[in-house]
Amino acid sequence: MCSVMKQPISKLIFRAYDIRGLYNKDISPEIFYKIGLAAGTYVKHTMQGKQISVGGDIRQSSQSLAHAFIAGVTATGVHIHHTGTTSFGQTLFTGGKLKADLIAFVTASHLPPEWNGIKFYYGDGVGFPEENLMAIRDLVLRDSFELTSWDHIGQVTPVDAKKGYKEFFTSQFKFKKKLTVALDCGGASMTLSAPEIFTSVGLHMIPVYCDPDPSFSKRPSDPKPKNLTTLVSAMKDNACDFGVAFDGDGDRAVIVDNTGQILSADQTGIVIGRYGLKKNKGTIIVNVECSKSVKEQLEPLGYQIKQIQVGHTFLTLEAKQTKALLGIESSGHLIIPEYFLFDDALVVPLKIAQILDNIKRPLHDLVMESPSYPTRKEELECADDIKFDVIERLKQDLSKEFEQVNTMDGVRIDFKEGWVLIRASNTSPIIRLTAEADTTAILQDLSTRFMKKTQEMIQQKKTAL
Amino acid sequence: MTRLFGTNGIRGVVNQDMNSTLALEMGQAWGTYLKKTIPRPKCAIGTDARLSNQMLKSAITAGFLSTGCDVIDVGLVPTPTLQYTVKEKQFDAGIIITASHNPPQFNGIKGTADDGTELTKNVEEAIEQIYFSKLFALSDWNDVGSYSTWDGAIELYIKGVLSRVDVTSIKKQQSHVVLDCGNGAGSLVAPLLLKKLGCVVTELNCEPDGTFPGRHSEPVPENLTLLMKKVSETHASFGVGLDGDADRAIFVDENGSYIWGDKSLSLVGKYITQKTKGGITVTPVTTSTCFEDVVRQNKGSVVYTKVGSPIVAGVMKKNHAVFGGEENGGLIFPKFQFCRDSAMALATLLEILATEKRPLSELIAEIPSYEMLKTKIACPNEKKERIVNQLVEEMKNHQEITDIDRTDGLKLYMKDGWVLMRPSGTEPIFRVYVEAKEKHQAERVALFYKNLVESLMQRA
Repeated sequence: MCSVMKQPISKLIFRAYDIRGLYNKDISPEIFYKIGLAAGTYVKHTMQGKQISVGGDIRQSSQSLAHAFIAGVTATGVHIHHTGTTSFGQTLFTGGKLKADLIAFVTASHLPPEWNGIKFYYGDGVGFPEENLMAIRDLVLRDSFELTSWDHIGQVTPVDAKKGYKEFFTSQFKFKKKLTVALDCGGASMTLSAPEIFTSVGLHMIPVYCDPDPSFSKRPSDPKPKNLTTLVSAMKDNACDFGVAFDGDGDRAVIVDNTGQILSADQTGIVIGRYGLKKNKGTIIVNVECSKSVKEQLEPLGYQIKQIQVGHTFLTLEAKQTKALLGIESSGHLIIPEYFLFDDALVVPLKIAQILDNIKRPLHDLVMESPSYPTRKEELECADDIKFDVIERLKQDLSKEFEQVNTMDGVRIDFKEGWVLIRASNTSPIIRLTAEADTTAILQDLSTRFMKKTQEMIQQKKTAL
Repeated sequence: MTRLFGTNGIRGVVNQDMNSTLALEMGQAWGTYLKKTIPRPKCAIGTDARLSNQMLKSAITAGFLSTGCDVIDVGLVPTPTLQYTVKEKQFDAGIIITASHNPPQFNGIKGTADDGTELTKNVEEAIEQIYFSKLFALSDWNDVGSYSTWDGAIELYIKGVLSRVDVTSIKKQQSHVVLDCGNGAGSLVAPLLLKKLGCVVTELNCEPDGTFPGRHSEPVPENLTLLMKKVSETHASFGVGLDGDADRAIFVDENGSYIWGDKSLSLVGKYITQKTKGGITVTPVTTSTCFEDVVRQNKGSVVYTKVGSPIVAGVMKKNHAVFGGEENGGLIFPKFQFCRDSAMALATLLEILATEKRPLSELIAEIPSYEMLKTKIACPNEKKERIVNQLVEEMKNHQEITDIDRTDGLKLYMKDGWVLMRPSGTEPIFRVYVEAKEKHQAERVALFYKNLVESLMQRA
């Protein structure tokens, strides 16, 4: 318990894709009230809109923050549909059905439970772009809101986000086989939807951490491999066809194959691209961090592979514009637009189940059809005030030096046998280097070469200061 | 210290002095107060039908949750329904978002203790002190309160009312009631209750609507003209008009005549003290003597209090009173709960009619009648106290004065009437109430005191 005196709102809580901070330190109901005022003002003035759908994940602080946000939105005269405590997909689905101008979800996604935040989507499932989020940030920081008069105050309508969502899945998925799936919700928001829906579509479910646990005391909400040991051992005990683990709010799913191998998003994407799509012509979107095997495997099947910058907002927007069939973010967000544009993680395991239902082969076989290349990720310290300059200079220099250079998001240099991506982190004083190559030897060579180039550039910029 | 709470909670114009920031911080201040003695307080919250309810409810809910209080939202309900729920379901506090009878641009926050009674002044001041200090005991991320909804409050409340009246007799008489809820929160309860009591109901303004399209929500005669007309037109047994949050009920007799709150208070007081063979009743100093007359006839007694229903309820509780209330239609039935309750008033009136088997106008005619005159006298706030003291000096040896009462302002009793001068808390005026047997007497007394105050002011 603590008494907090008023302090200025840190501009650092406003990130590229969402707002995040430590509860009672960077964010509070007061700040969420202001964010609500700003979001309402934005919807009313910039979008000429009328209503926002709001929900919150299972974190203990989410309802307090959601209510404060609602108080702000309604004070500007914008109406609210309130879904309550839900998974990410439940609120996004319901907001879409209600044709919301904006959908807001209170969550800090996979971050630890003492964090919280909020992210925005448009009613059609497209993520809210960074520049618009910054417009909301500016309204908050400038205290520039428009309160409405008593007779135009926004109204709040509580809505049930569970029924329609569940019905959607039961209408879309029916299985001939009795598939056994281990389900690891990590005690987080997917406990509110996934177990019930898995059962109702006829999957035989082995539950792992499927009881609500808002403080994520059983397993961290980030489903990275080291947090999935319980899931993997539960699968071995039960001879599962596959397993799935979700993050804190339910926008990322990690698939584990029948041998207990944890798949990368790229591997899952390739399996879905090869076996799970209804059409064999159309666009598949990958971001600049995705493995080169996605293109190698899926392009020959007739799909067009489009590379975009990192961020689920771009993924959803690009998917809408190109009418894409599939979108893959190497960080784990996958979209399958035949269902939704937004990155609801629940569609991923159901799609995998559908594939296994139709094919008489275990998932591991399907995964092993594609080669897996060695990758390397490095972080280089670089002050916030020069990191973007460093990248700019690298773009210029490397574009002259190499043939295949992509500068849409950082700088990516492609070679026949591998690639290197150098990007500035949006949130930390860090430059990230990612590399992938056919062999470990080539990988070492590539990453060392470009690490050196980056280091030199950082040094140059430092001295120039 | 600056006060936020008035006689009936905190009130203000929406998005001006009554805004979400205030509501949020009020929730945090109140939550901080509750957490001092209760590890995990459970608070019930409800609202009347105003357009700004959900905004303010969301804000104050966020405040309570952030201090580690659980919030149970019971939705749109009359104030007494929320109060009864708090008591019966053993919540630690009740919050009602309402501005009672105020115009629609107003809204407010009213609070109850764990027994459903309105907060005492001491508690209000303790909460205010925390509010102004801004030192809120905010919970850590893992101890923030939980929010849930409960939709059983109205059913619980109606059941409670029905269990305290003679339903069989009431049903038998098949009264025809014209009901005017003023588009307020009473719309959720009164129509249902009357149907359960076997009444034929003609509904007026029984759709909750925060713009109050039907009439202003204060049940004064000028706002109940349609109700009065409808009662006589339809030959109904009687009519009833509720205020915005349905804690007060005003009745209209079978001829369509408006019954002043003093009279209905007295009628019910008479009935109850008859049943209890006396007992203590409680009412503010502003109430007509007719109430004391009927209570005394039944060997009961009256304790007078300062104006304000929480005060009346508090004194009732302390004195184990059998009945109490105000002259504005706010009746308190201690066997049910210690707060004003229109549904209980309505059900009790039906029981009285079932017992007496006579028209309402006849029963009212039996209540003694006095002439009451209400006026105001201008007086700057800083002079009020001195003027009152001088008045006491001036009048204490006056032969006309039989008694002086300082419960609330200054009440001077005469042989056949009284005058009450209360300094207004908000305006530079004295509110003056004069009661006498005849109208001309009342007018004479009013003029006398007006002149006296003016001359005292000139001297001062």
